[in-house]
Amino acid sequence: MTASTSTLVVGAGLGFLGLAALCLSLGRHHQALWPTPPDRRRVLGLRVAGWTLIALSLAAAIRLEGWNFGPVDWIGSLTGAGLLLIVVQSYRPRALLWLVPLAAAVTAAAALGALA
Amino acid sequence: MRQGFRQSMAWLHTWSGLVVGWVLFAVFVTGTATYYRTDISRWMQPELRREATMSPEALAASADLAVAHLQAHAGGARTWFVTLPTPDRPLVELFWRNRPGTPPGHVLLDPRTGAPAALRATRGGDFFYRFHFELNLPPLWGRWIVGICAMVMLVALVSGIVTHRRIFADFFTLRRDKAAQRGWLDAHNVSGVLALPFHLMITYTGMVTLALMYMPWGVTAAYRGDQSAYFAETGQITRDRPATGEPGTLAPVGPMVARALATLPGPLERLTIVNPRDANSTIVAVFEEPHGLSHEHPQVAFAGTSGAIVEVLSGALRPAAKTFTTLVGLHEAHFAGAALRVLFFLCGLMGSAMVGSGLVLWTVARLPKAGAATGFGWRIVHTLNLGTIAGLPAGIALYFLANRLLPLDLAGRADWEVRAFFGAWILVAVAGAWPAPRRAWRLALAAVAGLFVAVVVADAATACGLWDDPAWFLGFDAALLGLAAGFALISHKVARFAAPRRARRAVPEPAPRMEAA
Repeated sequence: MTASTSTLVVGAGLGFLGLAALCLSLGRHHQALWPTPPDRRRVLGLRVAGWTLIALSLAAAIRLEGWNFGPVDWIGSLTGAGLLLIVVQSYRPRALLWLVPLAAAVTAAAALGALA
Repeated sequence: MRQGFRQSMAWLHTWSGLVVGWVLFAVFVTGTATYYRTDISRWMQPELRREATMSPEALAASADLAVAHLQAHAGGARTWFVTLPTPDRPLVELFWRNRPGTPPGHVLLDPRTGAPAALRATRGGDFFYRFHFELNLPPLWGRWIVGICAMVMLVALVSGIVTHRRIFADFFTLRRDKAAQRGWLDAHNVSGVLALPFHLMITYTGMVTLALMYMPWGVTAAYRGDQSAYFAETGQITRDRPATGEPGTLAPVGPMVARALATLPGPLERLTIVNPRDANSTIVAVFEEPHGLSHEHPQVAFAGTSGAIVEVLSGALRPAAKTFTTLVGLHEAHFAGAALRVLFFLCGLMGSAMVGSGLVLWTVARLPKAGAATGFGWRIVHTLNLGTIAGLPAGIALYFLANRLLPLDLAGRADWEVRAFFGAWILVAVAGAWPAPRRAWRLALAAVAGLFVAVVVADAATACGLWDDPAWFLGFDAALLGLAAGFALISHKVARFAAPRRARRAVPEPAPRMEAA
């Protein structure tokens, strides 16, 4: 895996997790997985987690690719992650239950590989 | 303002989007294809054999061979363009213009023999590249039309953002279980908002690439309209060396190529030979862009008669020029490796989907009540929609199909491929006037899917013996099959969904949706 590809995987992974958290903080999408809308604390937690993960994905892209390519890679990977998320949660929302841990594992592996 | 700001913007978005939508769809689709321009060209010339490396000696020999050919066949031309061989494309490509009004000269040579290369004639991916900003029209016309449409596109993008009230709440929403209009609106919103950074970037930088044509006044005022003086002073090209009118003889080019390679690192891409028979002839060796966002080619200029270096350009652009080349570089994305390129391609597809779904949305939102006749305007928009959204992909499929099926020795073969492209497009557009809109959509999209499958079948049947790297060709064919599957899926959805009647009641806000796993 080339340096730039692992950046994209890390960025897309963190972006996917962040966007998924933001998505689940919305009543409609929360209820696709769980019977009730999220309570206030949960909304807050999910949103803080979501924005933190997205910020992390930007930080990771810049750390790995620098200020020239980092932002381009970041926006690209975030768009790709968003597309995957929207397709999954429109057609198979329950797949998020196993995709989220999978994305976390892949991201961690790619991040370790990129930093090693 | 008669109505609220948002309503005005909604009106602006609807109508600005509609007027330029058909051209924009074509620009988006061919631009997206251009991300894989070299791959398309390679697929369309399966006879091509790649090489492992290209030595400096081989490059010098190729340059000598190119100049010999041009001396013999293009003596009267003011400028010769020579694209040097690379391992991926070991061919010498020559291009020259004899005089205005006559067709330019163009030939591909085999660098080992010096004879014209034994490849099928095709315009390959270059056709999509040029169509993307010239629409196959005379260049000035095409560039102006595309530019004006891009400017209106920016208007549509910004007014669209203003109009979209629930841009954050609906960010992830793609409702499949509601009325057709809701579904199309969601598809339009998702494809627009998700790739919004890309859409803004690509539209803006696209205009920047031709900004000097659209807004020439600065250069007119400061350089008396001499664009090459402007480009030279900003360090983007080497200085112009005007012809003296005295005849001169070109020194051997091979040693100049060797010196250029010793002067700058990085692969040498092409030679530009200006005024080849003048005492003040110039040879510019143009290198590939070094890895970076900015689109700038390092260059070494030689005095043609003596072979002495007169100028070296490498990096060192000032901020304004650097801003320009970076914006152009972002548009072209030559820097993108395989993975990032896929993402750019996906963004391009989303741009096409945004324009296409917007066009369809216009007709879906104005469907007449059940039983009522459709109006003339509605039918025009519907027919143009179908003609563009299904017609263009059909044209692309037939362009590929013609590449595999036309006889190899057909005169004007490359032009026949282009005729196949337009022929299929026009045929689908005419068939789109079929009186039953839904059936017309379903059949046209199914036909596109079928055509892409036919391309893969024709490739496997006629060209598999020529593949130098079967895995690569199979990958390309798999991508075509993916496109076919996409069109088949949409055709299937249209059959299920776009019933020509309005949703009878206002759509209630989301009921809890519990899906069984």
